[in-house]
Amino acid sequence: MSLRPIQSIETLREYLYAAIQLEHATIPTYLTTLYSIHPGTNLDAVQVLRVVAVEEMLHMTLSANMLNAVGGKVDLTQIGFVPGFPTYLPNGETDFQVNRERFSPEALETFLMIERPARPEEHGKGLIKDEGRRVSILPTPTSEEGSDLHFYSIGEFYHAIQVGMEHLCEEFGEAKIFCGDGARQVTPEYYYSGGGEITAVYNLATAREAIRMISEQGEGYEGAIADFEDEISHYYRFDQLKKGRYYMPGDAHDQPTGEPLNVNWEAVYPVKTNLRMSDLPEGTEVREAALEFNKVYKQFLASLTVAFDGQPQCLIPAVGGMFRIKELAAQLIKNPIPGGDGLHAAPTFEMETV
Amino acid sequence: MSYSTGKIEQNVDHAAAAATVYDAVIVGSGISGAILAHELGRQGFKVLILEAGPGHDLSVSGYQTYLERFYTAISKDNNAPYATNRAAPMPRSGDVRRLRPGLANSDAYLVQNGPLVTDSSYARVVGGTTNHFESKTPRMMPEDFEMSTRHGVGMDWPIRYRDLMPYYNKAEFEIGVSGDVEGQKSLGIEFDPGYVFPMREMPPTYLDRLVARGVDGTRVEVDGESHEIMITTFPQGRNGLPHEGYRPFNNGKDYVPASAVSSHQADMGGRCQGNTNCTPICPVQAKYDARKTLAKALATGNVQLIAQSVASKVRVDFATGRVDRIDYKIYSDPDSAMHTIASVKGRVFILAANAIENARLMLASGLPGRNGLMGRHLMDHPYLLAWGLMPEVAGTMRGTICTSGISSLRSGAFRRTQAAFAVDIHNDGWGWATGAPTTNLLSIVDEMNQFGAGLRAELVSQISRQLLLAFMVELLPEPGNRVTVRPDYVDALGNMRPVLSFSLPDYTMNGIAFARELSRRLFRRLGVEDYSKYDALDPGFVSYHGEGYAVRGGNHLAGTHIMGERADNSVVDRRQRSWEHENLYLAGPGSMPTIGTSNTTLTLAALCYMTAESISSELRNQSI
Repeated sequence: MSLRPIQSIETLREYLYAAIQLEHATIPTYLTTLYSIHPGTNLDAVQVLRVVAVEEMLHMTLSANMLNAVGGKVDLTQIGFVPGFPTYLPNGETDFQVNRERFSPEALETFLMIERPARPEEHGKGLIKDEGRRVSILPTPTSEEGSDLHFYSIGEFYHAIQVGMEHLCEEFGEAKIFCGDGARQVTPEYYYSGGGEITAVYNLATAREAIRMISEQGEGYEGAIADFEDEISHYYRFDQLKKGRYYMPGDAHDQPTGEPLNVNWEAVYPVKTNLRMSDLPEGTEVREAALEFNKVYKQFLASLTVAFDGQPQCLIPAVGGMFRIKELAAQLIKNPIPGGDGLHAAPTFEMETV
Repeated sequence: MSYSTGKIEQNVDHAAAAATVYDAVIVGSGISGAILAHELGRQGFKVLILEAGPGHDLSVSGYQTYLERFYTAISKDNNAPYATNRAAPMPRSGDVRRLRPGLANSDAYLVQNGPLVTDSSYARVVGGTTNHFESKTPRMMPEDFEMSTRHGVGMDWPIRYRDLMPYYNKAEFEIGVSGDVEGQKSLGIEFDPGYVFPMREMPPTYLDRLVARGVDGTRVEVDGESHEIMITTFPQGRNGLPHEGYRPFNNGKDYVPASAVSSHQADMGGRCQGNTNCTPICPVQAKYDARKTLAKALATGNVQLIAQSVASKVRVDFATGRVDRIDYKIYSDPDSAMHTIASVKGRVFILAANAIENARLMLASGLPGRNGLMGRHLMDHPYLLAWGLMPEVAGTMRGTICTSGISSLRSGAFRRTQAAFAVDIHNDGWGWATGAPTTNLLSIVDEMNQFGAGLRAELVSQISRQLLLAFMVELLPEPGNRVTVRPDYVDALGNMRPVLSFSLPDYTMNGIAFARELSRRLFRRLGVEDYSKYDALDPGFVSYHGEGYAVRGGNHLAGTHIMGERADNSVVDRRQRSWEHENLYLAGPGSMPTIGTSNTTLTLAALCYMTAESISSELRNQSI
């Protein structure tokens, strides 16, 4: 699969599938970091990570709505849907890699990179030329002269989707592009708990609304720290942990004026970065537990697929599976790896192992 | 927006407060005080709230300290989330001891004078007892307002159900009620045409459905009338799915659930997650508590809050009968008796502590009232618990603490002679009766010698079949059930402590005995093995007609300054205004002359909305 500039509905669907994959790709990393924190400590960081993870799930749902709206099919069970870590982001950002790792200053830097605001004034269409020769898990757009192009930020990636939609609607008519069955949409009554409002997507206007929500929650609105609803964006939420102080709506960049907050980098389980099943000795309980986690996670993705593939009423029970995921992840993270030099286990998110 | 921004902390110092004459001085930051402060503050009146408990900014991480304390507490009682506070002590159910006949027990804050002891409790923290209320929000039945006229027992209210209807709507908006109006109508409760609750009903649990399958349609004969038992859901003050039918009652807009209170954006609590420890504390703040209203009150800019300040004396100008000021004791260390005294002035004074503390403060101020009714007619809902094992795995421990129950016996001709009751199906198993699941765990380890996988399997098999029915029984106003004070019982700050005299009349005991009979019948229909056991050494043990029952307190403390039509038979009028002190209001559950079979919070909230209208019109007309 290759991401070309959006000139057909098929390419649009590929982009939207990549968008779902992108939103999901951050979840293993945010959850690993979140659950690596000692219970009862780092309460502010726990809140920030929890909110961001919850909103990524909202974004994934919004992208699924968009894909359904343009007649695509959502399948989170495809091989390769869950990235192997370390990974580049599926939208083609290649100047940094994402790990599954413990709560640390390095992890925080990565999160700031993931959520960094767009720089449209510098990047024009949001694409920058690849300076390295690294391989992303998805092929990236190709420029007219043939070199690989990359999206600098998630916001720019979504901007490209919006431009593509607008272009296609103009060329073929809105009804031809937004040809999906409206009954497949996840509407607010099925979207349970937090992260903001779900937008059902039926046409270009509602698709724009969904994209606006995703981009602003991630990066802020028109360069501000908050979105249109005055909600602090992910980038600045993470920046709060770095600055040791909460942002309030209206604050300038780099100048939070809210309550101070404390981060304790020591109150963290020493989770092994990007742990794989192959790091866990055969016959150990921790290996069994890691396998169990992967089974449950695979089942979770399968049940989300059912909900996103025409049965939105199945979303609420599917989300209930998150409680089990949390419990199993916490068990792994609290336990050292046998013979692992004191490093602790973690979920491996290797769907191919089950 | 999916969060409640707000900041709850002291926002004025004592010197500035002392130099101000407020439009209204409110004692207590629970739901009554928060509603009144918000209503008056948003209309531009200057309001001061005195709160006895600590008032740190309750950001999400601050709330998390409540949770951590609760998680690590050995006793999971209602006040387990809060630090011990000698300056503003609160009753805890674990304090309760069986009384020695004729002797009061003054070991704990609440002095128990008997003959019965109660394990009811309340919280003296910002947001008051709504922090640990279960959040059921049924309206009272229309006939509950006319008990004397309709059934020849208890008292009539000075208002009727219909007078309160518009205020019930307001209270349901503020608390954020999820529920099914049709189900409530089927009980005989009237609603405005087309009205729905702001949010859809909490779905019944699997356990609810199993119980309904077994007992729905059962006919019960009582006092010559036949009643059909039906399992229905309860309206609840916790966030669910907004009901689009509510738009006409919300200016055409969707209802937005109020999520966690936080000084920064927390994005939490927009929906109930089905955690089972609603009481004492919702882990995600999806359950309403009065801090949500308080945050809005403070955001008006007209409301000031002073924490760690225990109101100690209501000072009356005896020439005019008007309240002149309220003295309060300021402490800086909850573990110390050190304090200083200050006082505050206002045009109107509102006591919104709770039924016990309002009466205690008035009595400690030497204001028992000319008719001597201050502190009398103390009410609560005594609970009888019945528990057993379902014949099949029933999914116990899933869902909120309670979603459904039986409301079919909340009204009827039988109320001439016998208390009505509502029945809860407890989704959290036998916990209230036996201390499950902890007690199950200990017995499996100690008595069955199980560990590892065997322990887990046995625990699941024991817990997941547990059924507990809680019968919430009516108690009418009795003059002898009362709060008093005595100078020899004081707390660390020298404030007189409440002394409770409490007993259950035959009317209530008839209801309890009937409840026990009904539980046996329902258990037979369900094939439930009955494990109910009432220990004669239980502090709440009562014998009646040869059978023994262990009665639990319902934490629905009410009465003590009841409202009425006349100054000679009540303490406040229909506006909750003191008959004797024209600028003094006693607000909250203490004003209720009967409580029927409804959890008290919704009704007292509605009363406070009604009272706010009359206070603001009096303040505006300069008539006070």
